[in-house]
Amino acid sequence: MKPGKPWKGTMTRRERFNAQMHYLPFDRTVNMEFGYWDENYTQWDIFTENGIKNENDANKFFAFEPPKVLGVNLWLAPGFESKIVEVKENTVIKTNWEGILLEEPKDGHSSIPKYIRSSIETPDDWKKVKEEHFPRFDKSREPDYAYFDKTASDERDYPVGIDIGSMIGKIRDLLTVEGLTYAVYDYPEMVEDMVETVCTFTEDMLDKVLPKYHFDFASGWEDICCKNGPLVSMDFFKSVVYPCYKRIGDKLHKHGVDIWYMDCDGDVRPLLPYFLDAGINCLFPYEVNSCLHPADLCREYGRDLRIMGGVDKIQMIAGKAEIKKYLESIEPLVARGGFIPFCDHRCPPDVTPENYLYYLDLKEKMFGLK
Amino acid sequence: MSILTEISELVQKGRAKEVQALVQQALDEKISAKEILNNGLCPGMTAIGEKFKNNEVYVPEVLIASRAMTKGTDILKPYLVSEGVEPAGKAVICTVKGDMHDIGKNLVKMMFEGSGIECIDLGTDVDPQKIVEAVKETGAKIVCLSALLTTTMINQKSAIEALCEAGIRDDVVVMIGGAPVSEDYAGEIGADIYTNDAASAAAAALAALKNI
Repeated sequence: MKPGKPWKGTMTRRERFNAQMHYLPFDRTVNMEFGYWDENYTQWDIFTENGIKNENDANKFFAFEPPKVLGVNLWLAPGFESKIVEVKENTVIKTNWEGILLEEPKDGHSSIPKYIRSSIETPDDWKKVKEEHFPRFDKSREPDYAYFDKTASDERDYPVGIDIGSMIGKIRDLLTVEGLTYAVYDYPEMVEDMVETVCTFTEDMLDKVLPKYHFDFASGWEDICCKNGPLVSMDFFKSVVYPCYKRIGDKLHKHGVDIWYMDCDGDVRPLLPYFLDAGINCLFPYEVNSCLHPADLCREYGRDLRIMGGVDKIQMIAGKAEIKKYLESIEPLVARGGFIPFCDHRCPPDVTPENYLYYLDLKEKMFGLK
Repeated sequence: MSILTEISELVQKGRAKEVQALVQQALDEKISAKEILNNGLCPGMTAIGEKFKNNEVYVPEVLIASRAMTKGTDILKPYLVSEGVEPAGKAVICTVKGDMHDIGKNLVKMMFEGSGIECIDLGTDVDPQKIVEAVKETGAKIVCLSALLTTTMINQKSAIEALCEAGIRDDVVVMIGGAPVSEDYAGEIGADIYTNDAASAAAAALAALKNI
């Protein structure tokens, strides 16, 4: 790996991304990664010695070519005021910008916080929060047209996507996992209204931007699964969330956007048929350890399913032999198309810099320009 | 359908208020608290756990069933005490040092309690020494260690080492779980049991308690 030196290629970034995602001939795989834990920036010598402090720095250093994603605010406007409630020996209890009371490590090390209580437990709570924090019309929901014009011009040579946000994952964040479960059971109409609210924001935004710009893909985020499957009731998902995906998918298809990736960790298999039917045809970053080897999933869904990610971080931690073996196991998928390989989440600090560089070099050797 | 079967089915459906009412009715009909627990509430949680293990239901259904079971056991508690009913065993359960994540740990706790195992829940981000102290204080025979992250799963090993240093490792069965953890890893760090899901963990714990 030579710092700042892009992989050789014969196509533009945009041509390559679209060819790879549509199973057309491509010169080499898209060279991208999904970032790092905060700890990597202080613990990896390759980062500290080269002044790399964030993902942008790292992308430049490694000459990655991630697609750009444009969007507007589809969530709280304004957010809640974040307040520290209690400082304990090793942790801090606070309300965050989504109004959730949570406990997190005081030293700031990476860990999902312990969620204690949501600001929304009853329909009355939601009514108040909706009025105060979820206005349909707000400046933050307007596209920055100057930036969109500049970034998504038809002459561009790089791929640009549109962020369609989240239909249920952000609501899960707002209510907590337990809170969402109980609310779906106790107040299904309230949760349905929450989903409808965010879906409407998304549709409003798409109506503004889709006629003006030619996006290469759409991106979404849910993180609504764990290693034991969905964190939302399947009945609710099928009857409320899936129809919203369909509405959005129909708009995207009408404007020629036929790649839609979803960031959803965990075992997504129960949701996958509904994703695919609605037009969500790519998993990102496809966490292997909580689901299946991507070859097994691709065998089941064929060319209907694309994957971005899918390089098992556990093998990247394990060592060079394991990395080589794993990359060899996905070689046919990359060659087939519809598969852009990178670490299946933000790369953790327990992958050594030496192993990471080995992985990047091997990736170029195997999937770069022949 | 007997009232106990009905309680079991309502637990599985998560119908908390109806579970509460039927548990009270069963007590009024002079059914012992032990029988209501063992033949009504616990079979309900065991059944939902089995479905969870087989991917017929997912986390939300387990949470809802557990909430219903808790409503029932809250009514039973004073009666269980007066009847002198002992739990099937005791387990110290926690998420290990450095890790704040608690959904997996809570699911295991729910399934344990649904199997009649008393849980001493130490919470999240738990220091190994606190685990040692809890085992000594409570006499728990099971220690459950949860970790979500590759960077914190190493603290499952630290907890086991602390049990060894305290000379009580052989007194307990150590179970580990969490997204990055595997059977191989359990062997590597000297844990006794790894299971893939909360329901299997409860079944494994009950089996282990029988062999102690």
